[in-house]
Amino acid sequence: MALRLRLRRGGPAGEAAGADVETLERRRLNLVLGLAVGLGLAPVLYLYLLLVLSSFSNTMLTSLPLPGSGVELTLRNWEMLFRGQVAPAAGKIYTTRDIVLIILNTLVVALGVTAVVVAASVMAGYAFSRLRFRWRRGLMEFIILLHAFPGVALIIAVYAVYVWSLGPVRELLGRDSLAAYSVFYTVLARASLEIPMSIWLMKGFFDRIPWEVEWSALIDGASRFTVWRRILLPQVKPGIAALAIFAFLAGWEDLIYVRVFLYPQVKTLATFIEESVAGLETAYLPVVAAAGTLYLIPTIVFFIATQRLLLEAMSGGVKG
Amino acid sequence: MVEVRLEGVSKRFGRVVAVDNVSIVFEDGRFTVLLGPSGSGKSTILYLVAGVYKPSSGRIFFGDRDVTNLPPKERNVGLVFQNYALYPHMTVYENIAFPLRLRGEDEAAIDRKVHEVARLLHIEELLDRRPGQLSGGQQQRVALARALVKEPDVLLLDEPLSNLDALLRLTIRGELKKLQQKLGITAIHVTHDQAEAMSMADKIVVIDRGRVQQEGPPLEVYERPRNLFVATFIGSPPANTLPATVEHRDGYPLIRVAGSLYRPGERHAAKIREAGLDRVVVAFRPEHARLAEHPPEGEDLAFEAEVYLVEPLGRENIVTLEAAGMPVKVVTPPEERPSGRLYVVVPRERVLLFEPETGLSLDHL
Repeated sequence: MALRLRLRRGGPAGEAAGADVETLERRRLNLVLGLAVGLGLAPVLYLYLLLVLSSFSNTMLTSLPLPGSGVELTLRNWEMLFRGQVAPAAGKIYTTRDIVLIILNTLVVALGVTAVVVAASVMAGYAFSRLRFRWRRGLMEFIILLHAFPGVALIIAVYAVYVWSLGPVRELLGRDSLAAYSVFYTVLARASLEIPMSIWLMKGFFDRIPWEVEWSALIDGASRFTVWRRILLPQVKPGIAALAIFAFLAGWEDLIYVRVFLYPQVKTLATFIEESVAGLETAYLPVVAAAGTLYLIPTIVFFIATQRLLLEAMSGGVKG
Repeated sequence: MVEVRLEGVSKRFGRVVAVDNVSIVFEDGRFTVLLGPSGSGKSTILYLVAGVYKPSSGRIFFGDRDVTNLPPKERNVGLVFQNYALYPHMTVYENIAFPLRLRGEDEAAIDRKVHEVARLLHIEELLDRRPGQLSGGQQQRVALARALVKEPDVLLLDEPLSNLDALLRLTIRGELKKLQQKLGITAIHVTHDQAEAMSMADKIVVIDRGRVQQEGPPLEVYERPRNLFVATFIGSPPANTLPATVEHRDGYPLIRVAGSLYRPGERHAAKIREAGLDRVVVAFRPEHARLAEHPPEGEDLAFEAEVYLVEPLGRENIVTLEAAGMPVKVVTPPEERPSGRLYVVVPRERVLLFEPETGLSLDHL
């Protein structure tokens, strides 16, 4: 604010002939903000750059590889990663891990979380936006309260429920199905953390559609469900896309819930990296750097591809 | 084509009474306008007819059919909303075809009907576009096409012209009326624009505070307003109203208005005596009065006033005068430029008298 005021006041004096005053100020402000953000980001970006470069070199980098530093650039780490060779003792003795299976596991968790979050919040968002029922307001406030709880704070209770549920599941479905059940439970538990905010997001998107559009479809002969499916859902697609991306990334990145609930032999990228780093003395870190880079890719891709969509969702979607 | 009848219909939203015991007959094949200020309940009445709202009490009939509890889709009405409510993710073609698809009509019939109605409304070249790419007037036509394509028994129009610019509104006003006559469809049109109501309606129903204030042909409503609300709501500028006292001379009531005495006709005099009124409100339309240098002969209403402002509009002037501290507007021919102290003269047959407490016209008392 102070910055903007100073620029405003300074504006007219330095005004170029014929230039639009406001545009001029905006441009300057953008430049200053851009520089500030860039400066703040520099150390973070530098570290990520080192991570990515390390995945292509024969040693872990702690500074940029200058010529003559003895650092070789190589694809060997990626080859080892995809052959599943996580090598303690500097690449001599291999621990084998099926990396493709791990990626698939991660995808199953991420897509599962996405599906649950989208289904639940699209329906609940519609209800909160369009239906009148008892406790509507109270429930909405309760949901935002739920969102305020960090997942870690809830984990003991969620774990207790998990443990209680294991017995009946074992009896009903048999011992062999427990690994699958652990995936199912992880997905549900992780999704439930995302659902509160997603409901609010979807409610905001539904709120933006005028009632008249819905009435119009009712008069045209549609049922309430047809209106929801054929008239409203297509109009909230940007919202669905946004929360699907959030949910996917949440599932993809999650460490704590996956670590606690998934059967230890079912690995995702997060637990795989954690496991690899855990034996730090024996870990061959350039391969872990490659895994880390792989783990980052969806986040980077999604945010670059959908910047505008996410901005719209966050600024326009959420409102009481 | 069907007659729509509301019988003692009320609609409450919580504690707010939006529509209060309203009975209206919308005649078969006629163009009826519901006219009222915003918040008067006129759109609520329309939505009650459409079935979007259920009445809290009372019954609604389409011809002999009691539709009070039928959902919208079983009423076969077409509704054009103020904001058009087009489906933004569908093309114009799909928008218009939507009601037909829901009925499960076959593709050939849909295609034929969509093109037919598009031709009728001159939007054939827009069929591939999306609503977002259309101008306000075009969107309005598409909304109308979507309402008409299912050949509704009743066409409902909720301020469909108010989002258009002034010039386009005049054009479409005429077109809409012609279209309705051509199709012979029962139409109910909601508006707050009294000029629109006057020009389009076969019958005007004036609504205020959820009640019917007056209904009748436009000219009748204009010339013989049932109460002060109707008199001051309709007309541009609206009717002048002046508070007046009643003085009795030899048993005959005379009305003192803006310092002058006016002798009402026998009928009005009888009403005043009957109701024992000592105050009345005198009203007249600005175009019914004229300005004179001298007090006129005869028994017309005349009082002195000082010219305050002259607004030349080209076709006419609107002269604002001040009479006993009250503003009075008079429409004069454009070449007249009155000034100073003048007499405002209103012919006897144009003078309207109202009871001050209820606002009712003495003619309706």
